[in-house]
Amino acid sequence: MADHYGGDSAESEDDFNPAPADNSDEASQNSSPHVSRKSDNRTSSPAADDDQDEESDEEHHPPKHATKRPRMHNDEDDAEGEEEDEEDDEGGGGNDDDDEEEDEDEDEEDEDDVQQRHRRKRPRRNNASAYFDIEAEVEDEDEAEDDEKDGEEIEDFIDNAHPDDIADSGRMDDDRRHRDLDRRRELEASLDAEKQAEIFMKRYGKRAPTRGYRDMTVVPKRLLLPSVEDPGIWAVRCKEGKEREVIFSIMRRVEERLGTKNEVPITSAFERAGPNSVMKGYIYVEARRQTDIMIALDGILNVYPRSNMILVEIKDMPDLLRVNKTPNLEPGAWVRLKRPAKHAGDLAQVLDVTENGLEARVRFIPRLDYGVRDESVTADGKRKRPPGVPGPRPPQRLFSETEARKRNPRNLNGNLQSNSWTYMGEEFEAGFQVKDIKIQLLEVTNVNPTLEEVTKFAGSEDGTENLDLKALASSLKDSSANVAYVPGDVIEVYEGEQQGVVGKAVDVRGDIVTLKVTEGNLTGQLIEVPNKGLRKLFRIGDHVKVIGGSRYRDEVGMVVKISQDRVTLLTDQLNKEITVFSKDLREASDIGGQGSLGQYSLLDLVQLDPTTVGCIVKVDRESLVVLDQNSENKTVMPSQITNKLPKRRTAVATDRNGSEIRLDDVVREHGGQQRQGKIIHIHRSFLFLHSNDIKDSAGVFVTRASNVGTIAAKGGRINAQGGGPDLSAMNPALKRNTEGGNRMAPPKSFGPDRAINQTVTIRRGGYKGLLGIVKDTTDTHARVELHTKGKIITVPKADLAFKDKITGKPIDIYSRGGRGGGFAGSGGRGGFGGGSRDRDSGGSGGGWAGGRTPMASGGGERTPAWGASGPSARTPAWSRNETSGSRTPAWGDGSRTANPYDGNRTAYGGATAYGGGSRTPAWSSGAKTPAPDGFGHGSKTPAYGGSSGDAWGSKTPAYGISAPTPAASGGDSWGYTPGPTDAPTPRAGLGAPTPGALNPPTPGAYSAPTPAAISAPTPGAWTGGWAADAAPTPAVGAPTPAASGGYYGAPTPAPYGNPAETPAGGGIQYADDD
Amino acid sequence: MSENYVAPGQQRYLRACMVCSIVMTNARFREEGCPNCEEYIHLQGSQDAIDSCTSTVFDGLITLADPTKSWVAKWQRLDGYVRGVYATKVSGQLPDEVRTQLEDDHGVQYIPRDGSATEAD
Repeated sequence: MADHYGGDSAESEDDFNPAPADNSDEASQNSSPHVSRKSDNRTSSPAADDDQDEESDEEHHPPKHATKRPRMHNDEDDAEGEEEDEEDDEGGGGNDDDDEEEDEDEDEEDEDDVQQRHRRKRPRRNNASAYFDIEAEVEDEDEAEDDEKDGEEIEDFIDNAHPDDIADSGRMDDDRRHRDLDRRRELEASLDAEKQAEIFMKRYGKRAPTRGYRDMTVVPKRLLLPSVEDPGIWAVRCKEGKEREVIFSIMRRVEERLGTKNEVPITSAFERAGPNSVMKGYIYVEARRQTDIMIALDGILNVYPRSNMILVEIKDMPDLLRVNKTPNLEPGAWVRLKRPAKHAGDLAQVLDVTENGLEARVRFIPRLDYGVRDESVTADGKRKRPPGVPGPRPPQRLFSETEARKRNPRNLNGNLQSNSWTYMGEEFEAGFQVKDIKIQLLEVTNVNPTLEEVTKFAGSEDGTENLDLKALASSLKDSSANVAYVPGDVIEVYEGEQQGVVGKAVDVRGDIVTLKVTEGNLTGQLIEVPNKGLRKLFRIGDHVKVIGGSRYRDEVGMVVKISQDRVTLLTDQLNKEITVFSKDLREASDIGGQGSLGQYSLLDLVQLDPTTVGCIVKVDRESLVVLDQNSENKTVMPSQITNKLPKRRTAVATDRNGSEIRLDDVVREHGGQQRQGKIIHIHRSFLFLHSNDIKDSAGVFVTRASNVGTIAAKGGRINAQGGGPDLSAMNPALKRNTEGGNRMAPPKSFGPDRAINQTVTIRRGGYKGLLGIVKDTTDTHARVELHTKGKIITVPKADLAFKDKITGKPIDIYSRGGRGGGFAGSGGRGGFGGGSRDRDSGGSGGGWAGGRTPMASGGGERTPAWGASGPSARTPAWSRNETSGSRTPAWGDGSRTANPYDGNRTAYGGATAYGGGSRTPAWSSGAKTPAPDGFGHGSKTPAYGGSSGDAWGSKTPAYGISAPTPAASGGDSWGYTPGPTDAPTPRAGLGAPTPGALNPPTPGAYSAPTPAAISAPTPGAWTGGWAADAAPTPAVGAPTPAASGGYYGAPTPAPYGNPAETPAGGGIQYADDD
Repeated sequence: MSENYVAPGQQRYLRACMVCSIVMTNARFREEGCPNCEEYIHLQGSQDAIDSCTSTVFDGLITLADPTKSWVAKWQRLDGYVRGVYATKVSGQLPDEVRTQLEDDHGVQYIPRDGSATEAD
């Protein structure tokens, strides 16, 4: 027995201890049940059982040996054969399968050890006896075993042969071995394959020759996973960038100390500091103990074992050595060049890859200057620039043979047919430079070629675009860096374990996207996926916007085709199909596409030059397309646009029937194409219409207001007189003729009807008594939103009673005459009262028309209107003058006032200021009175109205009327007490409004005039200043035509020039007149 | 003594054997051949063979101090090789004829070192 163990290897150690016990057990009890029980307890080590069996066999079988020996010898004589038999027997013999056999071997491991002498020299082979069935085997088994024993212990077989024991022990043994066998089989079956394999490995790995590949072939990696028995791995800090050096330093140390007594006690060390690695700054050392690492690394530069080392967990160890295959470069793929420096960053296309995958032939667009700037060598032969520093690089341009020939013919070789050239040692094909470049010098990942870059390659060959989107896609695939997913994106997983999952992103954190699965089995679950294998998912019909990465950026369109991650969409604007990557798309929430360029957006009305306006019908990235009033499309830069015309909600025009048309009304052309559209802009007599039926110009077209008929007015506006406003009421000429006297038209408001937004009650009809707010009006009707019902009804204006919004008191919104509500001053108001009444009674037409026209037509037309209206309303003299045609004289004659006026006037006309003024309501009022001229100016500043307007007013009116006692009232009143003055002068009322406006500016205005040197002409008088009113007055009063004439006639230009600018001047003059 | 040490200045000449992934200088490959697989790929003295069977593109250096005991060696299938510096990843592909020769004539299972092997597992 002791012999058996003598040569034992470590493996049998485990078994050594149990063995004696077994023996004793066997010896004393020799019962098979006991054995099986025991083996049950030790199922984990079948080998032990075998061992023990062996031992017991050996113990108890000597007699058997003796008896059986003859037979055995008959069967087979040589030990080898016997052993094989035995082996087979032990293995259960039923299997001839290699694996099985090996399993058995494993079971016999200890046995092997025991019988090393024999085993080692004998080749394993599959014996025919494996086919014996069990019955036979049983018999054989004993024999074999005995034989074996025989072979082994031939010397003491005599000892063993105790005849008395044979029968008993043989039977017992037989039984026991059967059980044993069964048990072992069970065990084998229960062992999982992996474990078996592991056991194998353990055993046979060792026996394998230690060199070469022959035995490494089949072991799968998973069987190589680290276990606790393997050395540990520690991560040790080192200087970043010095990892390789450290590894070599360790190598040196290992080799230097090899064979000495202080060998480096580590088994390996490695680094994984690739260019894009996250494992920089560490090396990893494999050793049994941490202290070994200290010894190994002590004193090596750039590595810091004393800072804390990190023990890598066993399960993480394989990850340290994970290798990701660099995707092979495929011809057609896109890369960026790192070198030559001149081309750093340029896009290149792979044409071919060498067999070993280390070099690629790429083509790219050359940067040649054909020697134009070849100054790398100076006169004295020195290089100007240190090598490696790129000079200014020429722009990318395709190779031009002619240019090369021109500049440097000697260096040009090539072949015109194939269009391939060699120039300055570089190769060019079809305009591209072609070069073999090592793959280290190529940027293979994150290439992100833009479509612009790519098209340079694609378009250049024969003018056609033969974009290889597939190659492009593959180049883009690994560049997930700039793909941004936002919560809400519908995303498809196209790679990895979760492939095919579709969900909606709910959270994006770094590279991890959390998806809520919307389809399939996982519906409703949240899963987290790295954004690498993701792409946005669209469906045909989705409305999407291009958000980047291509020249189609900002296009919006509908998805019409999807193939993989390439999406084809039909753009909204151009009705063109474009193909982009799904990563560049986003579900579009906005319609119609890129809306705006700077401050200009689609359908805006813009002023192109003083006489041209246009509607923006297309917004490109840097330009706009404008449809002007003459129906011409113009492409303009934003800088060519004078300004943007604000949309005037209140703009009004009349159609060919005289009906009022406003924005958003639907009209149809009368002749021509009978196009129908909704009014989007009204500009003078031009209408810009929009129709969804029109394809070009974004559906916009231009027509004249007089050429359209109303189809539908917004909100069902009712035109009282059945098809149009009272034109006669608008016609100043008409008005003038019918004018019954000096009376003024009621101050008609301009701009938005003041009724709008007023709170009203309805006085009559089914809605009587209800409170509401006026939303919109026509001449006669108002649309009222009722407080009660939230409903908008149309009611005749006459049936409305206006209420103060806050107090609820009845108010008369029109009572303020022409003045806007802004007319704050109550004084003004008072003055008013009278005036306005007057007007009411008077012929309204003139004033009206005057006010109106300008309104509608804009500043330009104003002035003339003025002339007409003012006089007509006012003083007959005026009008007469006008009619007569000869102005100045007439003026001179008629009204001295006229002169000052004139001055004012002309000045005004010239002054653009006018235009501005014209818009304000104040104006209109002014229009009626001469004073207003001055006023006009003032009118710009609302403040005006407020203050001393009265004083002024007093004047003006006085003026206009001329009749009143000018001198007295005029002079005084205005000198000091405006209010009072007004009162006195009957007409003050009239003036009041206007002048009122004037005064405020007073100070400024006055002063202005003063210097105006109006005084100049009549220094004395004037300078007297205001106070001097009196003085001037008389002077002026001199109203004598002559005087005035002289005055004005000659001086006019000069003095007036000044006053002209300053309304005040004018005003003053008037005063004087008075 | 330290034959496998390569000074930083020389590291630009390093190449890695595509078969066994050992990293040595070009000169040493030429003079001595590959210490592990010379019998199959015959690098010694043949720059052509060196060019086709070794690669300048590799990363993740490993100092293998004790190939028999190291798990790293086992995992990288370097056990049984000589002590030295190896690479975890060697880019490049062995020429087909070399590869077939390796597998057919020598019965050697070629383990690609460029990372494609791990994907197979």
